[in-house]
Amino acid sequence: MKRLPVRIVAICWGLLALAAAGQAITEQQRAPASAISAAIEVHAPIGKDSVKFLVIGDSGTGDRAQNETAAQMWKAHSLFPYEFAIMLGDNMYGSERPQDYVSKFERPYKPLLDAKISFYAALGNHDDPNQRYYKNFGMGQKRYYTYQKKDVRFFALDSNYMDQDQQKWLEEELKNSNSKWKIAYFHHPIYSSGGRHGSEVDLRSIVEPLFIKYNLNVVFAGHEHFYERLKPQKGINYFTAGGSAKLRAGDIVGSSALTAKGFDTEQSFMLIEIDGDVMRFQTISKRGRLVDSGEVRRSPNS
Amino acid sequence: MTKLLSASIALSAMLTLACNKADSSEPRPAAPAAQAQPAPAASPDPAAGITAGGQAVNAQGAAALEFKKRIDAYLKIHNDAEGKVPNLKRTDDPKEISDREKALADAIMTLRAGAKPGEIFAIEYQPYFIKIVQDDFKGRSAADRKALINELPKNIKVDINTVYPTTLPLETFPPALLRKLPDLPPELEYRIVARSLILRDVKANLIVDILRDVVPTIPS
Repeated sequence: MKRLPVRIVAICWGLLALAAAGQAITEQQRAPASAISAAIEVHAPIGKDSVKFLVIGDSGTGDRAQNETAAQMWKAHSLFPYEFAIMLGDNMYGSERPQDYVSKFERPYKPLLDAKISFYAALGNHDDPNQRYYKNFGMGQKRYYTYQKKDVRFFALDSNYMDQDQQKWLEEELKNSNSKWKIAYFHHPIYSSGGRHGSEVDLRSIVEPLFIKYNLNVVFAGHEHFYERLKPQKGINYFTAGGSAKLRAGDIVGSSALTAKGFDTEQSFMLIEIDGDVMRFQTISKRGRLVDSGEVRRSPNS
Repeated sequence: MTKLLSASIALSAMLTLACNKADSSEPRPAAPAAQAQPAPAASPDPAAGITAGGQAVNAQGAAALEFKKRIDAYLKIHNDAEGKVPNLKRTDDPKEISDREKALADAIMTLRAGAKPGEIFAIEYQPYFIKIVQDDFKGRSAADRKALINELPKNIKVDINTVYPTTLPLETFPPALLRKLPDLPPELEYRIVARSLILRDVKANLIVDILRDVVPTIPS
């Protein structure tokens, strides 16, 4: 069933919010040059007891793009009340001084942190592994870790350093998981149409056999500074969402046979709802535009 | 300890596989961590027999033993240094993380003052490591090789017993290559910077040893 996006006009840089329950309001206002658009298109969640989360990647710049995209994330929360956020790595670019934790994470996401939204970070190539000690990243002092949310088992991996200890750990955890949904996320995409990086085939040769063997359902990755939904590969759904602050405009190779949907002209983030056997996804741009949406049905075999 | 033993075995097996031509090298006793001197790399000889602990072993086994011994020596220093700085726990104060990282790095740098390249990648066994890396790159497709090399930080000079530049990305270490190198304890990891293979202390963000000119260049 195709749902129409709920449109609201939210308060932004002093603009008055106009929102009515169940009613689409499509007022577009000209915002100041430095401000983001006031409108946001977001599907409200459907399930009553569903798992709802936010996906952000390559976010830690501390610049205006990060802050503007973060503002949209918070606006989206009013329509789609996600309970936690996963971070796909490159949580902090450049220096990682105490003030950088503030400017590149705590300040942009302050409304989310104030709302007690938990973050669960994976490490990117720009991240000091000692970020695992930072409580707000939810890593439990581990470079790779797993956690459960209702029917969903998450595996946050360290794709920078896929050593044998991690491989053994991953296999053991996948094997022992009886969860309905198994979702892995990490920084480097093993399938990608990026012109700059492309697919991490070395990593793929190590992790993909495990994903297949243990019926993983979905993978999220970053590293590429754009959004890409890939055509399912060997029964697994892959998303790249590494454009939540950084943007590599025009980097998706147009002729790629891997791409189901690509978006590389603006920063973006994802909203996910897992409701029984269905995972609904939507991708929102920095200006609040819905650039992709759909659903993934869990295979009965998984 | 079990991990290091398995690393030792892994290195031995790996060296056997990696080295397919004979050469000559007389392994020498390990120099103390702060006293090792760089020397021209000799060609390793997998067939050359030596005696270790009363048993004859070949050069690959000797390399494995030597590597393990030097890793053990470094871990002792690392642990001594850890004992001198406050323990790091999960915190919501990033300053505690950076302060602790710096304090640990400072303590190790002091304990290893005068450290020189080759203290862990023993000079006489460096050709083995170089061969493993170069064979790995040779075995890749041209596109894969180019992609890997293009990702590496370039024009960066790093040195032993210095902090890994905090503004420099830690590029992903090729997992297939990682499988060919001996396992390291969790305190240490391999990284590649420019054309160098480095050993990095994870908690201290410190470059523990460096092996230069390992990664091949892309032919223009």
